[in-house]
Order: sequence, then C-alpha cells, then structure tokens
Amino acid sequence: MSQDNWVDALAAEDLPSDDVMGLVVAGRDIAIYTVGAAVYATDNICTHGQARLCDGFLEGHEIECPLHQGKFDVRSGQPTCEPVSEALRSYPVKVEGRRVYLRID
Amino acid sequence: MSDTTSVFPKRVRWEGDGTHRIPFLTYTSDEIYQRELERFFYRDHWCYVGLEAEIPNPGDYKRTVVGERSVIMVRDAEGAINVVENVCAHRGMRFCRERHGNRKDFVCPYHQWSYTLKGDLQGVPFRRGVKQDGQVHGGMPADFKTADHGLTKLKVATRGGVVFASFDHELESLEDYLGPVILGYFDRLFNGRKLRILGYNRQRIPGNWKLMQENIKDPYHPGLLHTWFVTFGLWRADNKSQLRMDDRHRHAAMISTRGTAGKAEQVTQVSSFKETMQLNDASFLDIVPEPWWGGPTAVMTTIFPSVILQQQVNSVSTRHIQPSGHGAFDFVWTHFGFDDDSEEMTQRRLRQANLFGPAGFVSADDGEVIEFSQQAFESKPFHRTLAELGGHEVENTEHMVTETLIRGMYRYWREVMEGESRGSSPACAGVDGANGSALCAAPGPGA
Repeated sequence: MSQDNWVDALAAEDLPSDDVMGLVVAGRDIAIYTVGAAVYATDNICTHGQARLCDGFLEGHEIECPLHQGKFDVRSGQPTCEPVSEALRSYPVKVEGRRVYLRID
Repeated sequence: MSDTTSVFPKRVRWEGDGTHRIPFLTYTSDEIYQRELERFFYRDHWCYVGLEAEIPNPGDYKRTVVGERSVIMVRDAEGAINVVENVCAHRGMRFCRERHGNRKDFVCPYHQWSYTLKGDLQGVPFRRGVKQDGQVHGGMPADFKTADHGLTKLKVATRGGVVFASFDHELESLEDYLGPVILGYFDRLFNGRKLRILGYNRQRIPGNWKLMQENIKDPYHPGLLHTWFVTFGLWRADNKSQLRMDDRHRHAAMISTRGTAGKAEQVTQVSSFKETMQLNDASFLDIVPEPWWGGPTAVMTTIFPSVILQQQVNSVSTRHIQPSGHGAFDFVWTHFGFDDDSEEMTQRRLRQANLFGPAGFVSADDGEVIEFSQQAFESKPFHRTLAELGGHEVENTEHMVTETLIRGMYRYWREVMEGESRGSSPACAGVDGANGSALCAAPGPGA
C-alpha cells in the first residue's frame, strides 16, 4: 500500500463541528464526521436503503441513517442497529498542515 | 308486505327452531356476511394461513388472507413463524404484493416505512426531519414512538406443520378449538413428518363461502354428482363410512373406507356402474395404501370456517376458503406430500391430484353447482334450502345418507350469529331491533 494513496479532501477549517458532512473525494461519495477533535470518514450511501448518511444524525460515534434509522459506528463502519447489517467502508483519515487527507486504495 | 311474503326480505326467517331449512338470505345478505367475517373470521376462531413447508428458511414469506384481510406468514431470523397484517401503519397501504418471497424486512413502497419480520416498526424516513442550512425541519413529533406503530400481529398456532392464525389474542388453544375427535383426524394426516409442497390450484368460485363448507359436509352428492367417482369405482355404496363432529358441530370429518368386496350388488344402487368404461391411462387410479391411513381410504375434514383437509387415497391437500363478498370466494388448493415419499409416490400423488382443483375430474363439478346454487339464491332470497336427509337431528352416524353435518354447522352458526356480540351491546336488542339486523327475526313457527 503506497503512501501516494492519501488524497487531499478538504481544509481542516471546513470540517463540521461534532457533526457530519458529505463531499466527493476522488469521485467517491464520502461522509466526514468529527467527534471532538477526531475525524472519521466512511462511504456516504447507506448499505441498506438509498440514503445519504450526511443527511442523518450523528450521536457520539454513531451515525443514524435518516431513512430507516439504521446506525453505524463511524470509527469502523460497523452496523450497530437494525435494519442495517452490512458494514460501511471506512477510510483512514489524517490531518496535516491544515489539510484533511483520506487514504483511498 | 310482511317479511314472510316479500321476495327480498330484510331479515332471516328460519322455519322452526332447527337448521334443516336454511334461508337463502344467509347466502345473499351483505349484513349477514359482515357479521360472519367479524364473528367467524376475525375473532374466536383459528383461521388457516398455510403450511410451514411453504416458508422453510428465515425471511421466507407467503401472502395470504384471514377472512378478507390480507396477512403475511413469515419466518423470522430465529426461525419462528409470525403472521402480520399486510396494512402499513402509516397510510394503511396493502404494501406486500408478491405471493411468496424472501426478505430481511418489509418496506412499504409509499413512504418506505420499514418493519421487522416480527412486524415491529423499524424505520420512518425523515423521522427526525431534514437538515438544511444548519437547521432541522419537519419530522415526526417528539412523542411519536415507533413501538406504538407496528403492523397488526396475529396470534399464531402451529401443529404438524400447519399454521393457523387469529386476530383474536384471547382465543382458546388450537387443540381445544378442534376438539379431541377432529384433532385425531388432523394428527392422522399431519403426524409430524415434514411436508413437501407439490403445487397449487387457485380458483374463484362465484358462490357464498359457506357453500364450500357444506359441500364437504355433504356425503349425499359424491355418488350422484361426481359421475367420474362412480364410473371408475372410487365411490361405492358398500364403502364403510362414518361422520364425526366436534362437540360444537362446527368441524367435521367424513371418513370412508373403500369396499373390498368384488362388484357387490350395492355398487349399482347409487348410479350405473359402467364396468366396461376404462381409463386410457389407468395410472390416475394407481392407488397404493399407506400405513398412516390406519384403515380409511378417504378422510375429508372441514375445519370451520376457513379450511378443508383432504385425503382422497394418495392425494392429500389443504383447501383454503378465502371469502370475497357474500357472493364469491377464492379457493386455494395446496397439494403436498411427505419428505419420506419416494419419487414414485410423489408422481402418484401428482397424478391423483388431477381429480381435484378447478379443472379436476371430480372437483370441477363442485365449483359449478355452488355457482348455480348462488344464482338461484340471489333471485329469490325469501326461499330456503332443504337439509333433511337423515332427519332433523344433528348426530354422528355410521353411514353417508344424511345431511346431518350441514345441520350441525348451522346449529353452530345460529348460536354464534344470533348470540350477543362480545364486549358490546346485545346484537338482537336496541339498535338491532325491529328495523335493524337481518339476523334477529325470532324463530317463527314452521311454515
């Protein structure tokens, strides 16, 4: 896995505060979350229905899908509440020099 | 003009206090039909919904009905069978359209409300509103609780691989409902072996649903209407026969054992036995006795109000009565076999199934006579049928020349239909008085 796969996603100052936002990174629909100082990223489209998680509600480390109220842990993408059963893909995140990078392989 | 002389009476009038003369109006009145739905199909009674073998795997479901209400029989992730009503808790849509399928959850297409396989409301789109410019708009009120808005769940009973359900959760056990005698015939057929589904027949019969129950409580007609039976020797006057009912006379079994004596004299008494007429393909009657029969070669069991259990030699099936208005019902046949059947036995059961179903050599006759009866009932609802063969009584017998099972069913029908409605005002008083209910005419003197 090459270090070249880190992709510049956005400026750190544009991150939401304890919330979720959607953006397109390298052609992918990504949801970016902040919990305190930590930043996480997953695919934005729910693995259950056709809904964008950035329209959902972040509570602690859980994102609730707006459509059917399934939940995922934003740290790992793992499902935590029915009806979702399939994990979201999650992406490593780093913040360097006021920029936020995602590693997309 | 009084009720007794009018062609279109408003109220049922029974001749005498027995049930040997059945008013045509019981088959033609919408008011009576609705009361039947309420009192027989929607409470106090177990209704057939299907066989466990139709939904073997988690997530498998089958759409069917209880009375006129659409329900879904589904196996959940834990393997339990649930029956839920096919009406979305939100806008009331009948959301499930497929007859069979496999799903992880149910989603109504209208607004995508989703439900678990147990019927619990799982997700409501935009329940918490929609986020826009840092604000949240709309959504369900804070006091909205998903737990209060699941699908209607039915009480479920299974026995021997057969599934029954009821909207009434205060109902007696299925075993008590059937009673020991009928339970014995039920267990004879569904004796614990796994079932194997062979296929379905479906037909709409333009006649009142009760006529189907009566048809299988009527051992008078098979040797007369069904010439196929007689011609090829399946129905013989020397058949040993028994008629059995539960204590309340709502369910019944017609049990017959094919005579073994050669071409006995009695055979000719019912109809001409065309000895020279032969089937081109004799395999339709390639009958092989099975140990579980325990003697009888045919047992036809009527479970009131919704199902008939058929064993006619090697052909076994359930026949589901699905009423649709006072003048029609859908009749759904599920032909099955058993897991330990040889391939040869499976083929035999399938071949013999040609006698049954909408185009069956035998059963095609029944759909037609029911249709033609209903036509006459509609034309002169003041009249009544006769069910006096074997007398006026209701009793178990050791012969078939009687209409006692029909009288028994209507004795029970009158008890329930003329009784007080449960948990509300008496049905035959107050608002249902002189000008009201179609049911409440006091039994008059015999006509």
